[in-house]
Amino acid sequence: MATNESTPIRAGASSVPYGHVIGSDKWRGTELAQLLQGKVKLVFEDGLGLVDFHLPKRTCILYISESDLVSGSAFKRRLVRFRKACNLSSIVIVEKTRLSDQYFPPVQNFVVLELGMSLLPVTNQSEAAQLIFHLVQERSKEGNSNPFILKKRSQLSEPSILQTVQKIPGVGKVKAQQLLLYFPSINQLANASVTELETAVGRGIASQVHSFFRQTQ
Amino acid sequence: SFMKVHPPGSSANDKALCILTDSREISSGPEVISCLKNVHGVKVQVCSLGGCDYIVSNRMAVERKIQSEFSNSANRSRLIERIQHLQNLFERVCLVVEKDRVKPGETSKIFQRTKYYDSTLSALISAGIRILFSSSQEESAGLLKELALLEQRKKSGIIIPTEVKGYKQEALQFYLTIPNINYLTALNLCHRFESVKQMVNSSVDVIANLAQVNPQKAEEIFRYLHYVFESQMLPSNNNVKRKQ
Repeated sequence: MATNESTPIRAGASSVPYGHVIGSDKWRGTELAQLLQGKVKLVFEDGLGLVDFHLPKRTCILYISESDLVSGSAFKRRLVRFRKACNLSSIVIVEKTRLSDQYFPPVQNFVVLELGMSLLPVTNQSEAAQLIFHLVQERSKEGNSNPFILKKRSQLSEPSILQTVQKIPGVGKVKAQQLLLYFPSINQLANASVTELETAVGRGIASQVHSFFRQTQ
Repeated sequence: SFMKVHPPGSSANDKALCILTDSREISSGPEVISCLKNVHGVKVQVCSLGGCDYIVSNRMAVERKIQSEFSNSANRSRLIERIQHLQNLFERVCLVVEKDRVKPGETSKIFQRTKYYDSTLSALISAGIRILFSSSQEESAGLLKELALLEQRKKSGIIIPTEVKGYKQEALQFYLTIPNINYLTALNLCHRFESVKQMVNSSVDVIANLAQVNPQKAEEIFRYLHYVFESQMLPSNNNVKRKQ
């Protein structure tokens, strides 16, 4: 897509080494940059376009200050342009202060629900520095140490199947095991005829099981 | 004729927005529920969801956490367990962090941001959990409504009846024991298949379509229904060695 405006995203900034942050030149000398500098390797670059900070693992930070929020909707256009320009995962950090508090709910709806980006409120630059530090830490971890990322573990199905079969009216634990001895899968059990079921359990239960699977409304 | 109701998405607009909530929320978030009903006109169905606060669509669960509880590191393992549980059951998980209530006459405490708070937020975002911040139960209700609306626009809204009557109650209890299946998927199975037998005999594609789950989940369900049970594999029979 050809555009005569400056590039919204700096090419190549998608790969940032672990423990590093690439910050837009405009943040040089700010409180946020000073606080961050001692904790991560912060490199300034110009021409980052719409992005304030690039973090490892293709993560971008877009920062909305208190005055951005209060002074109108220019920041919205910036977010929309970013969203259209790239598919890097992005976190919007917003200064939610006593002054800007009232603007927060609609901004949250816009950023999270409409644009599908993550939004994290801070009250000042010092909190933002702390938060960015943790975001970098999280993105610099090796392996799968994030407890919220699901690790697929194979579970035995037997205990669940026994539970499932016991939900058929009239079937307790003993009858469930008897049924599964003859019809070892739920599919086979569902397709068994009354006569076949009678070989495993008594006539009454056989017909209850049979009709449970076939009942319609 | 498998279909007893309209195909997904077709009747989304002529029905009121519907949200399922766990019965425990009646005591912990009474204003969320009354606000959803009275201010937003949402149909709220209270069920026993077992470890899930709200279901706003076929694929999305919403967990509501009070800020002081969320930011207390003593609750870490409980939070992890809960989120993992929801990740197992739902394609999308959303967390609403709600400010603590201020009782009349009390001044609101200043929230002290901690390392634990920031690192937890970072990890949740990395894991793809959506996070929303709310200042009150009323605001949380508004967020739940917005989420349900958004999911409805994406053709994932809850459009099946949420009440279950007659033999279908037995079928629902049966479906709910399928591992990693959420309450709404079980409801879909109940309402969209004519009989349990028909469901059990369905292909992966049909399950995916009628249960409104992704192909992986449909395959997981299919495999479970065809899994060959071996009683030696039950935990009580652990002394029997497994053949390699």
